[in-house]
This record gives sequence, structure tokens and C-alpha cells, in this order.
Amino acid sequence: MNPSPSVAERLDHTIGQMLGGASPAVASASAGLDLTTRPLIEVAESVRAALPVLPASPGFESRLDARLRGAVASRDAMAWALSHPGRLIVTGAVGSAVGVGVTAYAVWRSSRRGAPHRFLGR
Amino acid sequence: MSVDVVGAVMGDPDPDLVDVRAAQVDHSAFGTLYRRYLDRVYGYCFYLLGDHHDAEDATERTFLAALAAIDRYRDQGSTFRAWLFRIAHNQLANALRVRSRQRTAPLDVVTEPMAPGDPAAELVQAEEARTVRRAVALLAEDRRQVIVLRFVDGLSAREIGAVIGRSEGAVRVLQHRALRDLAALLARR
Repeated sequence: MNPSPSVAERLDHTIGQMLGGASPAVASASAGLDLTTRPLIEVAESVRAALPVLPASPGFESRLDARLRGAVASRDAMAWALSHPGRLIVTGAVGSAVGVGVTAYAVWRSSRRGAPHRFLGR
Repeated sequence: MSVDVVGAVMGDPDPDLVDVRAAQVDHSAFGTLYRRYLDRVYGYCFYLLGDHHDAEDATERTFLAALAAIDRYRDQGSTFRAWLFRIAHNQLANALRVRSRQRTAPLDVVTEPMAPGDPAAELVQAEEARTVRRAVALLAEDRRQVIVLRFVDGLSAREIGAVIGRSEGAVRVLQHRALRDLAALLARR
């Protein structure tokens, strides 16, 4: 603390010690607080008791855990793809070639099936 | 020199730094930080929003945003937890803006931990705690933030300053004023 700390600084020091487990009396004495601040120390003690850390529900905890794992997996997949651009290009090229092949085959098949109908229509 | 709530002197290395470095190398290690801070971030969101569902939404957005930004985290004089609570603070600001109001229900939905003992004394204790929470809910938002971050989440004045964008000294003054307001509110009951 500063050589001549303000009341706010002394109070903060006292609260820090109380939150660390010290009794209000010991904490305020070590911070050099006088009797006029005693009501504030009592209020601080009441607030500490009235505001517990609230555990999140187990259902929420596991749901969020699963979402975070999913986010990690997709980030890792993206990072892998970006760190292997060659493989990404090859994968893209093969995928495109397969797509073009399947489309060409489908067009060829449909043209063969449609051919007799065209003859019948004449 | 300020003293952290657990007795560590500010300026000491960030106790989370090893885990943060691990999470930056391997994102699956973020789970350690998530489990360490889930309840505290959730508590912060709940005490500011006053609703469990809204608190869960804000908590979820906080951790997803933290995971997305963990690679960019740099140790620049503030702790990881101050950085994390800063993200939560921004999520809360968004949630409050959407709602267009400062708070919802008073903080009466907290279940009192019932220790074995005198039931009458426990009832009195529970009623006192409810009164204090109602008084906290009546504080101005910046003072309420300071009280929750200090007493629930155990952040130091310096860390709270990093979260809410104020100086360490300003946070101490806010804390002093908040306790003075609470003393006046509780004296009126």
C-alpha cells in the first residue's frame, strides 16, 4: 500500500484479507482502519455471506462442454486444412473430377433412355 | 502494492498462464480453464442479470468467444481471468442492451445452503442474506459490478479495473461507495 493510504485503499486491503479467510477484526486492524469504518466492514461481511459462488447446473455444464469440444474439433480441422494446402488442392481436384464424371454419366444415361421415345414419337 | 484475495501480490505471474499457453498450443486444453472458471463466470452473469437462463446464455457466449480468441491472448500486465471476465462483461452489456433495462428480478432465487444446525437460526440467516441481495440489486450498475466481481469472483481491484475499464483507484472508490450505499439501504429496512 501507499505510505498514507486512503480509506478506500485500507478498506480494499481489509476486504482482500477477509476474502482470504481472515476475521474482520484482524483484517481491519492490520489495515489500520478506525472504528468509523466498522459499519462498512460489517456490511462487507454480510455481502460475503449473502453472495455465494453459484454452481452452474450439471446439464448446462455438460452441454457447454460438448459445444466447446465441437468448436475445438472444427477449429482443428480448419487449421489442418490450412496447414496442408497441397492436400486441400488435391482433395478439391479429385472431388471436382468425381462430380464432373457423375454428371457426365447421368447425362449419357438419360440420353440413351430418351432415345427410343424420340423414335416412337416420329 | 495491492493484495489479491488469495494473498498473492499483484505483479506475480498469472497463475493461469501455463494453462493458457497449453490451450494456445492445443485447443482441447481449454477445458481446464473452462472447468476452473465456469461457476465464477456463471455467478457473475447470474448476479448481474438475475435470471438463470439469461446467465447460461451469457456464460456460453463468453466461453465460446474466449475459445475463439485464445490464440490472440497476450500477457500484457493483466491476468487471464481479468481478460475472461472482460469478455463476460461485454456479453452482459449486450444482454442488458437487448433487454433495454438494467436488471430483472431481484436476486431472490438463490437457494440458501442449509447447513445442519438450528433451523430457526438458519431461517434468520437466510432472510438476512435475501435482504442483502435485494440491497445489492438496488445499487447503481457500476457499483454492483464491482461488488459482484470482488466478493463473488474474488478479483482484485486491478483486475476489476481491467474488466470494467476503470483505474485501480477508481474501483476502490466505487467499492467504498457501494458499501456505504449498502449500509444506508440496510439501515433503512
